[in-house]
Amino acid sequence: MTSKGEQSITYLILGVFSLIALLPIVGIIFTAVQAPGSTVGFGHFDGIHLGNFARAWEQGNFGSYLKSSFIVVIAVVSVASVLSLMAGYAFGVMKFRGADLLFYILLLGLMVPMEAIIVPLYYDMRDFALTDTYWALILPQIGTSVAFGTFWMRAFFRSVPRSLVEASRIDGASSWTTLWRVLLPLARPAVLTMCVLLFMWTWNEFLLALVMVSDEGLRTAPLGLSFFQGRNQSDLALLATGAVIVAAPVVILFVFLQRHFIRGMVTGAVKG
Amino acid sequence: MDSHSAMSSLPASVAGSVDDVVGSAAPGVSRRGRLRSDRRPPGEPRRVAYVYLIPAFLFFGGFVLLPLVHSIWLSFFEWDGITPGTWVGLRNYADVISDGELRASFVHALILIFFYAVIPVVIGLVLAGSVARVEVRGLTFFRVILFLPQVIAMVVVAVMWRMIYDPGNGPLNQVLRSVGLSDLATSWLGDFNIALPAVGLIGTWVWYGLAMVLLTAGVQKIPHSLFDAARVDGAGPVREFFAVTLPALRGEIAVALTLTTIAALRNFDLIYLTTKGGPGHETTVPAFQVYNRAFMTGEVGSASAIGLTLVALIFLITFGITRVADRGGQQ
Amino acid sequence: MMASVQFNSVYKRFGDVLAVDGLSLDIADGEFMVLVGPSGSGKTTALRMLAGLESISDGNVTIDAEVVNDLATGKRNIAMVFQDYALYPQMTVYQNLAFGLRRRKTPKSEIEGRVRSAAESLGLEPYLDRKPGQLSGGQAQRVALGRALVRDPQVFLMDEPLSNLDAKLRVRTRGEIKRLQQEIGTTTVYVTHDQVEAMTMGDRIAIMNNGILEQVGTPADVYEHPANTFVGGFIGSPPMSIFEAATAADLEVTRFSAAGVEFVVPGLPDLPASVIVGVRPESVRSWDENSGNLVGPLSGEVAYVEALGRETFVGVDSGVGQIVVHYDGRSALIPGDKVEFGLDPKGLRFFDVADGKSLAAGRLDSQ
Repeated sequence: MTSKGEQSITYLILGVFSLIALLPIVGIIFTAVQAPGSTVGFGHFDGIHLGNFARAWEQGNFGSYLKSSFIVVIAVVSVASVLSLMAGYAFGVMKFRGADLLFYILLLGLMVPMEAIIVPLYYDMRDFALTDTYWALILPQIGTSVAFGTFWMRAFFRSVPRSLVEASRIDGASSWTTLWRVLLPLARPAVLTMCVLLFMWTWNEFLLALVMVSDEGLRTAPLGLSFFQGRNQSDLALLATGAVIVAAPVVILFVFLQRHFIRGMVTGAVKG
Repeated sequence: MDSHSAMSSLPASVAGSVDDVVGSAAPGVSRRGRLRSDRRPPGEPRRVAYVYLIPAFLFFGGFVLLPLVHSIWLSFFEWDGITPGTWVGLRNYADVISDGELRASFVHALILIFFYAVIPVVIGLVLAGSVARVEVRGLTFFRVILFLPQVIAMVVVAVMWRMIYDPGNGPLNQVLRSVGLSDLATSWLGDFNIALPAVGLIGTWVWYGLAMVLLTAGVQKIPHSLFDAARVDGAGPVREFFAVTLPALRGEIAVALTLTTIAALRNFDLIYLTTKGGPGHETTVPAFQVYNRAFMTGEVGSASAIGLTLVALIFLITFGITRVADRGGQQ
Repeated sequence: MMASVQFNSVYKRFGDVLAVDGLSLDIADGEFMVLVGPSGSGKTTALRMLAGLESISDGNVTIDAEVVNDLATGKRNIAMVFQDYALYPQMTVYQNLAFGLRRRKTPKSEIEGRVRSAAESLGLEPYLDRKPGQLSGGQAQRVALGRALVRDPQVFLMDEPLSNLDAKLRVRTRGEIKRLQQEIGTTTVYVTHDQVEAMTMGDRIAIMNNGILEQVGTPADVYEHPANTFVGGFIGSPPMSIFEAATAADLEVTRFSAAGVEFVVPGLPDLPASVIVGVRPESVRSWDENSGNLVGPLSGEVAYVEALGRETFVGVDSGVGQIVVHYDGRSALIPGDKVEFGLDPKGLRFFDVADGKSLAAGRLDSQ
């Protein structure tokens, strides 16, 4: 059997790497809760002071940044999940000509990063006078989200027993009814995972916001933070607070739904 | 009433008629004496499938595929984004090889692959090898912590690490000075030689958690009987790792490498927010060049070409990794 | 509701494979028809074409004299019981039963009535609020039946509904389904690979093999007068013993010879010079003083002994091949023993050597 020594080594490895992962995060949280105006530097802990959060909210305009982020994220995730459910359903349950080709195109599209299409996207948006609007942030991200979402939901629908769909058809249900009444309840965990991942990716998106938006009122949280950093080189605590505010929603979601996050990234990646 | 029936409360006439309208245009009556193979069962949602696909593909086509094609078009021009552009054929692509700065950016991207992909996967394998032989309790707890760097926005990661790397009062240098290694306490992001590895290490920090989680999950799928057989054959931990664990993890390794490699190649956020390609051009990467040329220096065509080269590189490497993984599987 | 069902020269092709090859079958109003055959025989495909889950490559299928080839599944007045039950997992049993009726916009009050009466006849009342995940295999199977029952269709289709039940439950449910069908009188098409199920449940059985309908008839018909060697070997357990023999007519008798063995059968059936002989175990008995009208003797060595308590089947390797011999009660034989046995002439069946088809001329039991 395995020796105590081997067990200890494993826990050691886990422990060390967990610590390394955790330290910068803990450091920035400590920094954020330092007393306003103190100059002790990164990671020093001297009690919890929440004064910086109010300052960041007002001076740093993070209230507005959060609002913009939420608007974009909610729009993208809700539209993309419905569209992905529909498309994934078609791929996973129905037979039609061109299914393989279309899926292949989808797969290739999944590998295309924002960095490669940002340039034409900008100029197209500019032509339609959509730059500096929420649309410039929402529409492209629906496009990229739908690629992953369809891929993900297709994998789910393929795992549903064919007889269930057939029974529904024999009972006289249309394809629409079968999707929303029979299959959706089954799909809830998969849908939740998809939403959680899309939320994370959309919330964290930086380049798109950087390119499309210059109006302060429309800046999303990551973009807002980068500007905040430009204005606040010296006030570490304030900057740290801003960072914590920007990261918090996704981290909180992650802590509560970590099972879904991890399962999503791990199984989704393997199936890809 | 079911809570999820917002969709299904469409008037039943509409819900049912979707299939009718589309399905009734189906191929006509069966022809006696002619065997028609693979005809769909009557009412089998065939054309209606396209109805379900169209909305998603509209967005996907319009905001991913179309820009891609548009990008190809743009890449053949020299254009500043405002005045009309001029046709230059493949010159922008030739620049990728001839232009020193561009060449360097791609080399840097490859170096970053080492930090973002190779090191994390190695770390992941080390852990996976350990976990294979050992019963670990509380793995979930560790997984949550290890995965945290993945869910944090790159902007926040950049802010964090800039503070850590701060030459004056960043904790890294302070620790080094306190243990008497002041010589090593340098300007991490400002030193011409160290900047790229310093950025690379940030990437390692971001990605090793994913590799660990992915590979340990893979290890737990290996049937115990394989390990038992190896042990009965007298294999020690190292032998066991190479004979059982590593081959079985081929798929997961491929996935981990693919994800992290793509991340390394497309990496923009981190560079922009830490070094902006500097000092000099020491940390410039293709994605940064795309941004810089398209929106700062008015070289839109060149930017497009670089972006497309990136895509081609990603495709190549992804397929390459998959091929190697598959071929390994046939041995 | 009742209706007749017809398959008229139905073909189904999947790519290069012909799964159903010219199936023509008439199923009467209210009949319980069993489609039976080994895997790949096309029986399930035929059922699915009737259900509308597979398209028909050629020929047509009618329900109540109306051609349904291009009629959508949901519009055919049929209900189906699947092998894995296919219950809607997130709905209660009640909702599962009511689903089909709601799709057809049946008035609420009527739904309530029909669901409750179906639940009552299947003993499902205590489970109406449960979800499929909370049911045992037998209960789930009954819900699947109930879902079909509640629809009151023109035809019931059943695709191996008992395969997932344990043996005892299977026997009991067999009887229940048969009884239910007789009460309600709905035309039923039932697919199974188990010939015992077919024999005990069907009003008539249709035996399929490699997409072809080998024979259709009542269980007795099919058992006593198999249309070919396949049916002879498929129906009945243990199967019919089959061997080839040369015949020679000799005045009032026919001489059979095969592999150095000879036996004489009274009568002159017009047999060709070479036939395949089929004989069921119950027509092969030990050769002793009480043999009476048995023909033989044939002899051989015991290959195996199947002791079932009430009777014993002994596989004997004789000159003509392996023959199964029937003994009442227990037998002291063990493999290796030498035995002598005789054949009951009334149990002999004759088949054409070339295509295995039964030879009408060889009917001795009609004499």
